[in-house]
Parts: sequence; C-alpha cells; structure tokens
Amino acid sequence: MVKSGPGGRRLSEAGFAWLLVLPVLIGIALVVAVPLVYSLWLSFTDVNLLRTTGPALEAFGVRLPLYRWVGLRNYLQVFGDPLYWSSLWRTLYFVGAFVVEATLAGMGMALVLNERFPGRPLMRSLLLIPWSLSRIVVGLLWIGILDFEFGALNGLLHQAGLIDSYVAFFKNGWSSLNVLVSVYMWNQAPFATLLFLAGMQSIGEDLYAAAEVDGAGYWPRFLHVTLPALRPILFLVLVLCTVNGFLMLDLIYVLTMGGPGYDTTTISWLGFQTSFKFFKFGPGTAILYTLTGLCLLLTLVYHRLILAGFEAEG
Amino acid sequence: MTTISRRKFLGSAGLLGAGAVLADGARRGARADKPINFSGWVFKPDTVKDYVEFYNKKHGGQVKYEAIPWATYHSTMETRAFAGEVVDVMYCNSANREHWFENGLIRALDDLPGMDELKKKIAPASLDSLKNRDGSKIIGLPYFTSLFILMYNEPMLQQAGIKAPARTWDELIEHSAKLKRDKVSDTPYLPNWNNSASGTMPQFLSDCFSEGANVFDPKNRVIVDQEPGAARAMERWQKAYGAGLVNPEVLTKTSSTDTHRLFWTGRYAYHTNHSYYLRTIAGEPENSKLAPKKARMAMYPGNGQTHMFTEFYTVNAKTKALEDAWKFAKFLGGNGNGDWYVQRQWCLIAGLDNPYPEMYDHPEITASYDKWIDLKLLREQYKKGRTINAFKESWFSEYDTKAIPIVHNIIRGSSTVPKGLKELAALQKSLA
Repeated sequence: MVKSGPGGRRLSEAGFAWLLVLPVLIGIALVVAVPLVYSLWLSFTDVNLLRTTGPALEAFGVRLPLYRWVGLRNYLQVFGDPLYWSSLWRTLYFVGAFVVEATLAGMGMALVLNERFPGRPLMRSLLLIPWSLSRIVVGLLWIGILDFEFGALNGLLHQAGLIDSYVAFFKNGWSSLNVLVSVYMWNQAPFATLLFLAGMQSIGEDLYAAAEVDGAGYWPRFLHVTLPALRPILFLVLVLCTVNGFLMLDLIYVLTMGGPGYDTTTISWLGFQTSFKFFKFGPGTAILYTLTGLCLLLTLVYHRLILAGFEAEG
Repeated sequence: MTTISRRKFLGSAGLLGAGAVLADGARRGARADKPINFSGWVFKPDTVKDYVEFYNKKHGGQVKYEAIPWATYHSTMETRAFAGEVVDVMYCNSANREHWFENGLIRALDDLPGMDELKKKIAPASLDSLKNRDGSKIIGLPYFTSLFILMYNEPMLQQAGIKAPARTWDELIEHSAKLKRDKVSDTPYLPNWNNSASGTMPQFLSDCFSEGANVFDPKNRVIVDQEPGAARAMERWQKAYGAGLVNPEVLTKTSSTDTHRLFWTGRYAYHTNHSYYLRTIAGEPENSKLAPKKARMAMYPGNGQTHMFTEFYTVNAKTKALEDAWKFAKFLGGNGNGDWYVQRQWCLIAGLDNPYPEMYDHPEITASYDKWIDLKLLREQYKKGRTINAFKESWFSEYDTKAIPIVHNIIRGSSTVPKGLKELAALQKSLA
C-alpha cells in the first residue's frame, strides 16, 4: 500500500500506478480515440464542412458538429460502386506484390548485413537512407530516374548501347502499377531489413554451432534455425508492410495520380479523392474504414498462420 | 575636390535622421488599415510576397499572406472555415467557387464601391465567368484568364520540309505521321492529356469546341454523346495514340507544368496547352531548347475555338474588415491603385493573361509579350475563346475528375468512342 500523504487516504499500488499513467491515457484518448470515434461517426453521416449550424459536441471552445445520421447509406453507396471493387482488387494486388517484395528484399539484405565483412557498419547506415526519406521526395527522386524524357536510367541504358529508344516505364496501367510497387519496396524494405537484422542478432550462436556439428550447411541452417526463430519478427514485418501497403497514397499522388484511366487507383487514393477532392467526407471515411477492417482481418490471419504455432511451442 | 567638415557631416546626418523619423511617423499615421489575412495556392509565392509587401508599404495595408499547397488548398480553406477561422481574401478556382458562395463562405461583390467601374473594363465573356450560377451576382475578381493554344516547334517543321504549321486537325496528324516516318521525332504530337484538372478535360473541351461541338447544353447537362464534333475529336485522339504519335507517359503526368516541360526538349513538333506555358518554352533559354522563340503559336486548328477560363480572388462573407479586405481585393484583381500593378506583375513574370483588354495597350506589357509570343495572334485567339457555365454546378468538380479516366480509356482504345461519350453523359446525370 502506498500513502498518498501525511494523514491522507491510502492508495493501492495499482491505484497509484493508474494515477501516474492517467495523464498519458487522457492524452492518448484525446489524440487517438476521439478522432477515431469521430471519424467512424462521420462515416455514418451526411457531412458538409461548410455547414456550421446544427447539433454539435462542444468542450473547451472546440466544436464538433454531429451532422445528419444517414445510417449505412454511405457504406451501401460505396459497396454499390464498381469503381470501389476494381480499386479493391488493384489494392490487393498492390499490397500482395509489395509485401512479398519488401519481405524478400528485407530478408535478403538482412542476411547479407548479418555476415561479417569490411564496411559493414557503413552499409548498415546507408541502408536506412531510402527509408528515412519523405515519400514525396522518394517519388520525385524516382521520376528523375524513370522519366521518359529526363530520366537518368533511360540516358544510362541508351548511352551504354543497351536500348535503341527510350523506355516508357509509365506507358500503361500495368507497368505503372508495378513501378509503384517497386518504388515503394525500395522505400520500405530497409525497415524490414532493420527488424530482421535485430531478430537475427538475438539468435544464440550455440544453435548455429549445434547445427554445424550436425553437418548443416548455410541453407539448412537458414531454414531450420534462422527462419523459425524469426517468426515473431516475420509476423511484425508482414503486418507493418500490409498496413503500409494499404495506406500508401503519397507515391500515387506524385507519380501517377491514379492514372492512366483508373489503372493505379487504389482504395486509399479513392478515399482521399472522395474526401478531399469531392468533399464527400461521409463516403470518403466509409471507404477508408473498409481498409481498416481489411488490415485487422489480415493481421488476424497472419497471427493465426505464423504465431499460433510459435506460441504453442513456447 | 570637395571636402566635408566634421561639423557639416554631423549636421547633415542629424537632418537625415530627423527626416527618417518624421517620414516613418508620417507612414505610421497613414497606416490605418485593419489586419487582413490572405491565402492562395502555391504558384510563384515569392512574387505574391513581393506585391503584398509593396501593398503594405505603399498603401498602408496590414496584409498577412500564406501560401498553401495546391492539392489541399480548397479543402484546407474549408476546414479552416469549419474551425471558425476567417481568411479575409482567398484565391478560389472555378470548380469550388459556387460551392463556397452557396454555403456562405464568400460574399457577393456587387454592392462594394468601384465594382460598377470594374465591370465596364472586363471583357464580356470573362465577366460572365465572375457571376454566380443564376448570373445575378459577381462573386469573384479575376486572378488570371487563360485559354488553350497550339504551339509548334519551328526548326523541326523546317527540318522536315513543312513550310507552315497545321491549320486543320487532319494536317496536324499528317505532319506528325510524316515526322515519325522520317524519324525526325518518335512522338511528334504532345497534347495536354495529363491526369490533373488542368489537363485532359480542358483539352477535351478545347478540341470539342474546335470541332464545333457543344459539350454542355444551356442547362449544363453533358451532351457530347449527341455531338458529331465530339466524336470526331475523340476518333482523332484514338488514331494519334494508336499510331504512336503521342508519348504514352503523358497520361500519367500529374500537372500541365510537367507536361509542358516535355516540349522543352525540342523532341516534339506540336503541343497544345495553356497559353502562358509558351512563356517558358519560348522565353527561357536557360530551361528550354526551343528558346528564344523557336517555339511559336499558331491559331487553334478547326474553327479556332478553344476553352477559356478564369481563376478568382474572393472575399470572405464573415470578414470583420470588409472595407480593407475589398481595398486589397481590388488591388489584386481590379485596378485598386490605378496602375494595374498586380496584373502587370503576372503578365511580366508568368505570362498570365487577364480579362482587362486595356492592359494590352501598355507598352511594358506588349514589349514583354514580344519576347515569347505573337501578342496580336494571342488576342485574336482570345476572341475565339469559349467559356463554360457548368463549372458553377455543385457536381462539376467530381464530374471533371471522374471524366478523366473515361476519356483516357477512349484515347487508349479500351473503350469505343460512342461508348465513352455515353459514359460521360451518364456520369454527369448520376452526379446532378
């Protein structure tokens, strides 16, 4: 038991702990929970930002209009739009391709950087540069590399005599979408590398030594020692890559604006356009909440596939 | 040699100091304006800062300027209004202006002093653009006016033995096919089919108008599916794309600025875009291989009509300093101080046009245009500029954005011309 002060009421340890964390909890509630609940509310309403009259929540000078409740209308409108479904399939392709590419590239780079070689500390530092760049900068950088007229890559290939005429990397929807996947992988794979590397360094040397004694070569050691030990990290990488893949917006904005046609329009881009271009915040938030649902669902799937057995073994 | 004694120097310095103090005092006395907030999207913000500073110094203003990125400009202004913030004077584009007016964010300007005189100076077609949907109120002052023009690469045409630029669309396609065949250019034709609001759809309007087609009826309904001219324009686009006369990457360019930069390379023969882009193409040798004046303007093919539009300055309906906000708005979009200061700056620095014909008699302006364009021809082209009223409809912004993929599908042949044009009409119906 903890005394609250001379002659004061006694406070249990748990109560004292709650007292200490209460300010932080209030802060989190204000900056995370309130916007989350309010945006969920918006997805069931008819929002017009310029309409400032009507019922509202008011506290400390802040006014949150409640707008007209329309029930499931926004969701029904979204699900009835063929563009939503075509964007969803495109998003699933984008996320799938990105998760596979980023995970494999991240794992590959981590395996290399886990070996001892001269310049390894420098390589580990350089690796973080793509990840630390703003995605707007990443987009502009890759325009500089891939552009049909001004791109460095075309210039290089042409001067090396490898191509006769310049390659249009954004010439159609399919190639534009795959360019987006690869550029995003370039930006995000270093973070996956960092996580895998941290996981690899926590694997005991004795496990590898035992495997070597048993005559295991490099790949058997990777398959039977490294990979099983990395399962919690793999889970984390997959979840983060999936969530980031679903939410990716800025590269589309800089590189394709969802085109040509709708060929690079993903759900996040559709939600952004609906909310911030057409000012339809009701349907816009409804679109984006379907993404939240998908992310939660996939997290549960990953958990079941990757971690369930691991926890049971533990 | 004249010498200055220490006594004389100190005396003069004292007089200068006293003069400076008095002058500053006098200036402070004249500074009677209330503080004004002014916001605009990012386009040459240093130029805007300069003229705001000029206004504050010379006209006793207290204007605070803020530039907001274009992509989020209108939503930012709406969320700020939602939070109760009053930005006294704001830029506004045509797609959002009616929505702002109908919801009480901006006010009508007809009752403000000097508006009647300004109306007389504005070209009639542009004056109509400044009015609200029912045409009863003026709700903005012009920031700039622009229209689509045809630009051509003169050295390339000469190299191919083409003596004069295309006068018809058929000629333009023929020239482009010849240039490709002769390996003078891989993709000779550069239409502004980019994926932004200033690209594909204004280009669509321009080419339909040049074919004599109406895109909207008098009630602002889309009628392209009934217009043979629109079908002709789209068939031509399909043909040009299918024959490889156009760089396919133009469909994923994210702005008209990015698109016009392609023409800098000198590897294209024809380009259609907003008139002001010819200023950098033909007037900036440090950037463009087609400067000075190797790229020129020709009258738009077909009947010569193209899409013309105006962007606006608006005054907040809730401003607490209406007199000062209006004084500043007139400085920006009218002739507040009698010398067209802001309009002149935009003409000189960026080649932006305005709807005040008398501006084009100013010798400094004509000399400036002469460095990059045939001003007489440009003024002729303006006589053929066509505006639309549909932008005043609440559905227009969404229609304008969602129409781009439909038109891109027509261009790429993933949709037939009749089907695509029907889809455009159906899209408008679904939003209205």
